[in-house]
Amino acid sequence: MKSTRKILSILLAMVLALSLLITGCGGDQKPAAPKADAPKTQKLKIALVLPSTVDDMAWAQSMYEALKKLQSQSKDGIELAVSERMGKPVDAGAAIRQYATQGFDIIIAHGAQYQSVVKEIAPEFPKITFAYGTGFQSGPNIFAYDPQAQEGAYVMGVLAAKMSKSKIVGIVGPVEAGDAIKYNKGFQMGVAAAGGDVKTRIAYTGSFNEIVKAGEIAKTHMDAGADLLTGSSQQAVGAIKAVAGKPGTYWLSTDMDQSAVAPDAVLASQVYNWEKVLTKIIDLRKAGTVGGQHLTLSFADGMLDLKYNPKLEGKIPQDVKAAVEKAKKDIAAGTIKIDLSK
Amino acid sequence: MKGKTILVSFAALVGALLIGAIFILLAKSDPIRAYGVMLTGPFSSSFGLTETLVRTTPLLLTGLGIIISFRSGVLNIGGEGQILVGAIASAGVAVTLSAVPALVLFPLVLLSGALAGGIWGGIAGFLKAKLNVNEILSTVMLNQIAAQLYLLLIRGILIDPQEVAYGTGVPQTALVPAGVWLSRLIPGTRLNTGFILALILAVLVYILLMHTTVGYRLRAVGAGAEAARYAGINVPFYMVLSMFLAGALAGLAGTVEVLGVHHRALEDISAGYGFSAIVAALFGRLHPIGIIPASVLFGALILGADMMQRAVSIPAAIVMVIQGFVILFVVASDVFIRRPELLEQWKTWRRRRSGEVA
Amino acid sequence: MTDFMEQGILIGIIATGIRLAIPYLLAALGEMLTQRSGVFNLGLEGIMLMGAFFGFYVTFVTHSPMLGLLAAIVAGALMGLLMAFVSVTLQAEQGISGIGLSMLGWGLSGLFFRLYVGGIQTIEGLKPWKIPVLGDIPILGPMFFNHNIIAYFAFLLVPISWFVLFRTTWGLSVRAVGMTPQAVDTLGVSVTKMRYQCLIIGGMLAGLAGATLTVANTHMFADNITAGRGFIAIALVYFGRWSPWGILAGSLLFSMADSFQLWVQVLGINFPYELAVMLPYIVTIVALMISFGRVWPPAALGKPYERGVRG
Repeated sequence: MKSTRKILSILLAMVLALSLLITGCGGDQKPAAPKADAPKTQKLKIALVLPSTVDDMAWAQSMYEALKKLQSQSKDGIELAVSERMGKPVDAGAAIRQYATQGFDIIIAHGAQYQSVVKEIAPEFPKITFAYGTGFQSGPNIFAYDPQAQEGAYVMGVLAAKMSKSKIVGIVGPVEAGDAIKYNKGFQMGVAAAGGDVKTRIAYTGSFNEIVKAGEIAKTHMDAGADLLTGSSQQAVGAIKAVAGKPGTYWLSTDMDQSAVAPDAVLASQVYNWEKVLTKIIDLRKAGTVGGQHLTLSFADGMLDLKYNPKLEGKIPQDVKAAVEKAKKDIAAGTIKIDLSK
Repeated sequence: MKGKTILVSFAALVGALLIGAIFILLAKSDPIRAYGVMLTGPFSSSFGLTETLVRTTPLLLTGLGIIISFRSGVLNIGGEGQILVGAIASAGVAVTLSAVPALVLFPLVLLSGALAGGIWGGIAGFLKAKLNVNEILSTVMLNQIAAQLYLLLIRGILIDPQEVAYGTGVPQTALVPAGVWLSRLIPGTRLNTGFILALILAVLVYILLMHTTVGYRLRAVGAGAEAARYAGINVPFYMVLSMFLAGALAGLAGTVEVLGVHHRALEDISAGYGFSAIVAALFGRLHPIGIIPASVLFGALILGADMMQRAVSIPAAIVMVIQGFVILFVVASDVFIRRPELLEQWKTWRRRRSGEVA
Repeated sequence: MTDFMEQGILIGIIATGIRLAIPYLLAALGEMLTQRSGVFNLGLEGIMLMGAFFGFYVTFVTHSPMLGLLAAIVAGALMGLLMAFVSVTLQAEQGISGIGLSMLGWGLSGLFFRLYVGGIQTIEGLKPWKIPVLGDIPILGPMFFNHNIIAYFAFLLVPISWFVLFRTTWGLSVRAVGMTPQAVDTLGVSVTKMRYQCLIIGGMLAGLAGATLTVANTHMFADNITAGRGFIAIALVYFGRWSPWGILAGSLLFSMADSFQLWVQVLGINFPYELAVMLPYIVTIVALMISFGRVWPPAALGKPYERGVRG
C-alpha cells in the first residue's frame, strides 16, 4: 500500500521535473496571452495592477477611467491590461512579474502597498517603466506618484466646518495608513483653520474593505450629532449610502467624483487628474527617462481639484465658496503649508 | 486501498472542475480556453513554475501542520492566524535584533516564528484539552484576533521608520536584514530555499507520524480519545502538542514568506493559505508525503486562476468555488471507502437498471 | 467622558447594538435547531453569503425587497439541503463538509456578484418601520421600536422557537433525535427526515440573516460581506446553551460589545482601534471558555447516524 503512494509521488515528481526541464531550458515562453502582438509595433503597452476593482467608484476606478480616456485619445494606440483585486502582495508580485516578462512598456501598480514589490522587481527589468502611488521612493526606472490628498482634504475641511449646522463633523477612516493619513490630517487641519469651534470626530473600520462597518460608523457619527461626513477608500460607498439615508447630512468625497452614488448626499469631491500624470510619464519615457522622479499631484500643478456636485451647489452660500477658493489659492501659492508630521 | 483513495481525490477534483466549467459557461466564456490557461499557464514557463512553487511552500508547511492536528482528532482551522503570528514574530525579531550576526540571527528568527505560531496554536489546543472548547470555533476566533494583532503591530511599533518619516504610513515592517534572507534558488524568480525546507519537513513529519511513538500516540488520540485514555495515553497533552506542532509549522510558513518572498512583514501576507492548506491536506488524504503533489497542484490552481482572470476575465473567485466542491466531494466520497458495501449496492442498482433497459 | 453620559449616546449604543444583533440572532437560532437535531453545520457562513447575495440580487432586479428576502430564504434552504445530503445521507465528517460549504458559498456569491452585478450597485431595500404608539415612547421608543421588520421578526422568533422546541411534539422529536437517535429510530421516527428538516429550516434562517445585511442594513453587496458572522453565530449557539433565550442574550452581548467599540471610537476616546475591533472576538472566546465547562451539547451532535451501529 505504501509503495503505491510512493510510486505515485515519485511519478508526479518526475513529471514536474520533466516539465521544468522542457520549459525552463527553453527560455521564457509566454503563457496564453489575450493578443499575440507583433513585437515591433508602436502601440504602447500599459498594464495596471489594482487592489480593488475597476468599478469601485473610488481610488481604482479613477485611475482606470483616466487610462481608458488616454487610450481613446491616443493616436498610436494603447494596449491596456488590468489585474483587479490584487490586494494580496503575493498575487500582486506575480501579476507585476508576469506583465514584465510579457514585455509591457509601463506597469502601473496603483496602491501605496505596492512600493515594496515594485522596488524588488524593477531592477530586474531596467527597460520597463514602473509607476506606483501613493509613494515617495522612486528608482532608476520607477516613478512614484504622490497625490497630495491633504490639500483637497484641507479645503474640504474648510467647507465642512462652514457648512456644518451641528458643529460636529465626522471622518470614516479606513486605517491610519497611506493616502488616508494624509487625507484625514489635512481635513482636520482645514476644519480647525476655518474657525467656529467645529469638532472633528474620527473612527476607523480597521481595513479598506469593510463596507458594512463603514456604514455603521457613518450611522454612529450621525447618531452622535455629525452632519457632515467624509472618508476615503473603496468602502466609503457604504458610508455614503448611510449618509444618503438621513436627509440633512452630507458627504465629502475623495478619490473621484462620487456624486453619482448619492446625488442628494455628496456635496463635493476631491478629484485627481490622473490623465495629466500619465501623460507626463508617457512623454518622459518617450524622451528617454524611464523613471527616477517623484511626481506630485497638487493644486499648484493643476493635477488635483475640488469638484462641487452640480445638484447641490446651490446650497453653498457665496461666502463659503469664497473661503474655499481662497484656501485653494493659498495652498497652491504655498502661503498655507500643511504640515503632515505630527 | 490507498490507490483507491488517490483515485477518489482526483475524481473529486475532476468533478469540481466540471461543475466549475458550468459556471464558466454561465459567464458566457469558453471553459476549454479558460481551463487551458488555468491548468497549463502555471506549467508553461519558468515564471509559472517558480511562482507555483512559491505558493506551494506555505501550502505545504501549513498543510503538514493541519495533517498532524487532523490526525490527532483536532480540526485546526486556525492556519491563517498562525501564519500571521509566525510572520510578525520572525519579522519583529529580525528587525529589532538586526545588529546580531546573521549566523546567530537566522536560526533565532526561524525559531521565533515557529515558536510564536506554536503558542498560538497551542492556545486552541489547551482550550480544547482542558475546557472542552470546540477547536473549530476557537481557532476561527483566534484567526480574527491574530489578524488585528498583526495589523496593530505593523502599523504601530513595528512599522518601517521610513514610512513614518515620509508620511505614507504603508503598514509594513522595515526590510529584514539581508543576512537572514532565504536565498533565491533561481535568480530572477521568487523561488527560495524555503521550498527545500518544506520538503525536508514533509519527510520529517512523515517519520514523526508514522514511525515514532509520539506519532503513534497522536494518531491514537485521533482514532478515539476515550480508547486512547484507557490505553494510558495522556490525551490532553497530546491534543495540545498536536496543535502546538500545527501552529509551529504554520508559523514557519509565515516566516518563510517574510524571509524568502517579501523580505518584510506586510498586509495580507497570509493570502488565504490557511484555508487552502486545509483543502490541499484533504486532497492529499492527510498523508505527509501525499500533500506534496497536492500542494503543488493547488499552488498551480491558485496561480492559474489569477492567470485565467487576466486572460479571459473569469473572476478568480471561481477557484474558491472549485476548492469548496473539492472538499465536499472528497469528504462525501469517504463514505464509499468506509462502507464498500454501499459501492456494491450502487453497482448492483446500476446493473439492474441497465438490465431493465436492455 | 461626559459625552457618554448623555442620554442620546446611550440610546444610540443600544439601538445600534440591537440592529447589529439581528443577523447573529437569526443565524444562531437556525443553527440551534440544526444542532439540537444532532448535526453540526459549519457552513453557516457560506449560507449567509448566498442569502446576502440572492437577497440583494433579486431585490435589485425586481425592485421588491420582499421578493429578495424570499429568494434569500430559498437559497438558504437549498444550501441546507446540500449540507443535509452530504452530512446525513452520505455521512461525511460534518466539520469539514461545513468548511467546504462555507468556501463554496463564499466563492459562489463572489462569483455571481462579479458576473451578474459587477460594480457598486445599490438597492432601495428595507427601511426601518416605526411601530405606532410604542415607537413614540421616549427613550425606549427609538431604542426598541424603530427597526426594520426583519428585526421584529427575529425577536418574535425567540419565544416562538422556544415554544416549538419545548412545547410541541415535533420539537420533542427534534430534541430526542439529537440526544438518542437510536431510541427515536425504534419508535418509528425517521432520524434522516428530522435532520433534513432542521438543516433546511436552519439554512432558511441563515439565508435570511445574510439578506438582513444587504437588503436591510447596507443596501448593497460586497465580496465576503459577512466577514465571519456565520462562525460567530455558531459560537453563540454554544454560549446560549442551545436555548433561544440564551442565544438572544449572547447575540445582544456580542453586538453591544461591537456597538460599544464603534461609539468609543467615534467619541474620540483614545483607544487603538485594532483593539476595539478585536474586542468582540475576545469576548466570544471568553464566553466559550465559560460555557463549555458546564454545558452538555446534544449527545449525538456531530455523529452521523447509522442504523444498527452502536453509539
